[in-house]
Amino acid sequence: MLTARASSRTVQRVARNFATVVDSAGVKVAAVDNNQPTASVTFLIKAGSRFESKPGVAHGLKNFAFKSSAKRSALGTVRESEIYGGVLSASLSREHLALTAEFLRGDEPYFVDVLTSFVTSAKFARHEYNEYVAPTVESEIEESKFNPGFQAVEAAHAVAFHNGLGSSLLASPHNSITHEDIRSFAQSAFARDNIAVLGTGIDQATLTSLVEQSLSKLSATSQLSSPASSYFGGETRLQAHGGPQTVFIGFGSAGIPSPEIAALAAFLSTTPSVKWSQGTSPITAALPKGTAVEVVYLPYSDASLFGLLVQGPTGPAVKEAGKAAVQALKTVSNGLKGDDLKKALAKAKFAAASAVDSREGLLSVLGSKVLSGHESSLDATLASLDKVSENALAKATSSLVKTKPVFVAVGDVATLPYVDELGL
Amino acid sequence: MPLGLTLAPKVLASKTLTSWITPVAHWYANLAGYRRYGLKYDDLVIEEYEDVQKALNRLTPREQYDRAFRMKRASHASVLHNVLPKEEWTKPEEDVRFLSPLIREVEKEDKERAMWDTVYVSRK
Repeated sequence: MLTARASSRTVQRVARNFATVVDSAGVKVAAVDNNQPTASVTFLIKAGSRFESKPGVAHGLKNFAFKSSAKRSALGTVRESEIYGGVLSASLSREHLALTAEFLRGDEPYFVDVLTSFVTSAKFARHEYNEYVAPTVESEIEESKFNPGFQAVEAAHAVAFHNGLGSSLLASPHNSITHEDIRSFAQSAFARDNIAVLGTGIDQATLTSLVEQSLSKLSATSQLSSPASSYFGGETRLQAHGGPQTVFIGFGSAGIPSPEIAALAAFLSTTPSVKWSQGTSPITAALPKGTAVEVVYLPYSDASLFGLLVQGPTGPAVKEAGKAAVQALKTVSNGLKGDDLKKALAKAKFAAASAVDSREGLLSVLGSKVLSGHESSLDATLASLDKVSENALAKATSSLVKTKPVFVAVGDVATLPYVDELGL
Repeated sequence: MPLGLTLAPKVLASKTLTSWITPVAHWYANLAGYRRYGLKYDDLVIEEYEDVQKALNRLTPREQYDRAFRMKRASHASVLHNVLPKEEWTKPEEDVRFLSPLIREVEKEDKERAMWDTVYVSRK
């Protein structure tokens, strides 16, 4: 009885890391199988917007995903995937392009073939760019205009990092991208050392054998590069209408993201642990009615951006909320008292661990580690959070607050506050 | 079917047939008269078909402009009841098929769509 229970428990054990990383002919292949009913394969490619050769090509390439290749047409890919009941998706971040196929167990030969044939033999036809890709690119740009939060974070990246990480995720509204630009960007990005193949719900050996043959055709090394990030800071104000009044107060730093800032973000995070409650964040108590503060923490491979996204119905309300948020941040730089540090660390650890529970989180958190050849487990992240001390957190926060802030105002710029009005 | 049947691929596949028929083809194309109006053979394709419209949209802007120019020049010549001066006639080497490959591509896409619309799936 006892042994039976013990064995069933080991079967249900959820692996929190990619068990093994096998470097097959220059391609990193990692897989984790938690016995879930569906499987997924992701090609994580270092072709994010920071690597782009011309502004917007990364966005174009993302929307070109799963169009015609030498093996099947765009329509054929869609219809055949529907027959198998799978989902194909592409997502772009500043550092990575992720091409993902999610499917039922057993259909992996087909879906891995869809991914590899796109990576090895996509056609990048001119008429497909004009008929399918350009309209979706345009609609995504149009959609972003109604999202002041997104606009603020985009502008903050440009102000904070200038080139590289500063380049926008989206193409500009009046771009001059052609299918040829996208083709040459893809050709330099799709190289064996630039791709990590990540599988969930699939056996490592199966995935390796499926991928090995086809990806050996790719060139060995990528020709893309991005300058090392450095942090600048500054202020920008964008006139917009329709959405909430938005202000982003950010602090960036170059170098590997530190666990102290993750703990700080978790401590200030205004997302309550219990639904419909106010939460215990030091910011929420002081906020005027109708305003909201979101803590944004974006770690990258060689820099990080921490910030407070303040939104409200009017400029003066946003000013009040911004003051409250900056005040809360300054209190942390004087040191956390008592249980506050424990709470912050526990929240940060939970955020890190629960991110890995979902498929997207697993890919975004551990995928980049697989690609860079680091140890791809959660334990390292949790252990580094455990080491955060009261002093270290206070020191990190005070040095963060002392840096030149990034300040972005989106909305009615006449009433929105300036950075000096917020107490910085 | 905007393009109709053609035996050209079969003829081109055989060396002897090509050498016999090419002079006849050139003689016929010159006799047809469209070259004297500065047109290319693909300008004669009837464009009131969805497939042809789609193919026309896939021409490069330069090709679209040139096609409109040839049409305009030819209709002007028609109004004048005269052919163009000889130096403006289409030379045989300029008379390339710039549109029909695109129409064939669109037709192939239509065919593929019809195939997927009526496909029968069975579990092995």
